Amino acid sequence: MKPVKIAMMGMTHGHTRKYYQTLRDNRKLAWVASCAEDQEAKDIYELYKTGVPCYLSAERMLEEHPDIEAIVIASANSRHLEQMAFCASRGIHILSMKIPTFDMAEYDQMVAMVEKAGVVCQIELEMHYNPVVRRLKEIIAGGELGHICAIQATNITLSPVWAFPWQGSPEQSYGRRVPLAPGDPRFRGGALCDHPHVFDLARWLTGADFADVFAQVAPNLRPDLEVEDMLLAAGRMSDGTAFLFDPSWSRLEERLRVPAPGWEVFPKRMEVNVTITGERGMLQCDCFGPNVYHNGAPNDRYTVQYTYFDEWIGLIDEFVDCIRNSKTPQINLRWHRKTIEFMNACYSSIASGRPVRI
Amino acid sequence: MDIATLNDALGRLRAKYGLPQGAIVSGTPWPLLQLPSGQEIPLLRWRAERRFTELKNLLDGGTLEGVSTLRFATFRDGGDLLPLLAAELDLACHLTGSRIVRLYAVMAPGDRACNVILRLENGVSGCVECGVGLPPGTAPVDRHEVIARRGVASDRTVDTQVPQSSIYLWGEQGARTYTDTDFELYGLPDEGIWTVRAAYAILLHPELGDLWREAGCRCLEQAKAALKAAKQGETVEF
Repeated sequence: MKPVKIAMMGMTHGHTRKYYQTLRDNRKLAWVASCAEDQEAKDIYELYKTGVPCYLSAERMLEEHPDIEAIVIASANSRHLEQMAFCASRGIHILSMKIPTFDMAEYDQMVAMVEKAGVVCQIELEMHYNPVVRRLKEIIAGGELGHICAIQATNITLSPVWAFPWQGSPEQSYGRRVPLAPGDPRFRGGALCDHPHVFDLARWLTGADFADVFAQVAPNLRPDLEVEDMLLAAGRMSDGTAFLFDPSWSRLEERLRVPAPGWEVFPKRMEVNVTITGERGMLQCDCFGPNVYHNGAPNDRYTVQYTYFDEWIGLIDEFVDCIRNSKTPQINLRWHRKTIEFMNACYSSIASGRPVRI
Repeated sequence: MDIATLNDALGRLRAKYGLPQGAIVSGTPWPLLQLPSGQEIPLLRWRAERRFTELKNLLDGGTLEGVSTLRFATFRDGGDLLPLLAAELDLACHLTGSRIVRLYAVMAPGDRACNVILRLENGVSGCVECGVGLPPGTAPVDRHEVIARRGVASDRTVDTQVPQSSIYLWGEQGARTYTDTDFELYGLPDEGIWTVRAAYAILLHPELGDLWREAGCRCLEQAKAALKAAKQGETVEF
């Protein structure tokens, strides 16, 4: 199979660096170029010494590499519409970060432009390529638990805003400046915007959509942020499944400009745990564990050394397969729309202090 | 382990990553990688096991400084103590980049458990508790801890005695656990995954072949010597 000529764009998203090894190792790909949002993003990119040229203009990148077939858009949420349009208008396949946009009119524009261009647009919800999640899907589909009655899940991390400042900017993360609630000095765009995974998984595992939600924020752990960092959401799905989600930035961090060892203050900087109660049984699942542990350099703190998980390998395999074999990715724009709608409903509930019917 | 299944998996990795030819064949005590030249290399699968790779990275990368002591334990549901002990001895060498120069071993009555204290050439001390007395059908229990002047590292989390799992399931057929660690090789048993990864490592880095052959021979000889001395109450020098 002819390798897919691929590039990256933006280089300001927190997941940017996770692609480097996979793009280099996978023989189904030829990673030919990158294009950084600005000089600072380019400088950070160059710390990783990928050997792949980095430009500051997408047009210039395409002039130098006119055979680019696909682009990973690794940028702030507010940049996605423009960058998707750039790719779609040139027939370039798109791997989008997990939040295409929170503006549903923009979202529908994206769907229309991608479908008109006939390009693959895969959404990066990498948990689908996690081996524990694969087992979880098999157990649920196998019916051993029976019909799912309840799901509780965490998608909790440290806050990445010090390394990726756009994630603390309401305009760049949520797309505009919307107060969380009357009298609340904070704005939409924080932890909720960073953590769509368990919402997506709940839809995937149950085959149902969200029916209603009540969400509330807590006092921020980081009072200097102007976006929310702690929240909870509970409600029901269309099949009656009860859910409770925690998508917070509840693990404190060292305020590093570039992610590095010693970033975490709490030993485990990222957790996706799922509890499922079915009619005939129950399970508990840690999607990122067990691991290896240490209390060595640089801070001598007890630390989880993430050991087994590299979701980007399977994610990129699917992307290439969809491009070469004209398939639709399992997580595509149309599938993901209802997850984004749900996240907006969480914000509506936070604003009103009332449950929201979806 | 079904060798054909392992070779199917290795074939997929070879095709995906453009690696040269090689096939996994049965061997004693461990499967071998057979190269087109006819060379055979023992698949020291623990050297490709991710938790040990991470432990080694913590040592090699300076996260731990001034390693003092290794504390290893491994227990299985039957089988031979020899390959079990040999693997642990080789792991001690692999993690520290040194070699064992002295052993003292004590065999338990019944020959189903053996305790070893070892010294590495670089001065590091260590011990291995190994046994084959778990009831049939019980999953392996093990623990590997590296104690240094700066930091302790372990493949088991603090305040636990047994390996943790990713999924705990309570159903009508009782409780079960699952731990899946490799998306590309999903569905293979753990030993199968690391055997395929070991073959992959050699095909990717052919220079490992000679090192692994030598290490495989040495750890088996040292384990044999340890088990023999375990009944005599004497130290063994290498």
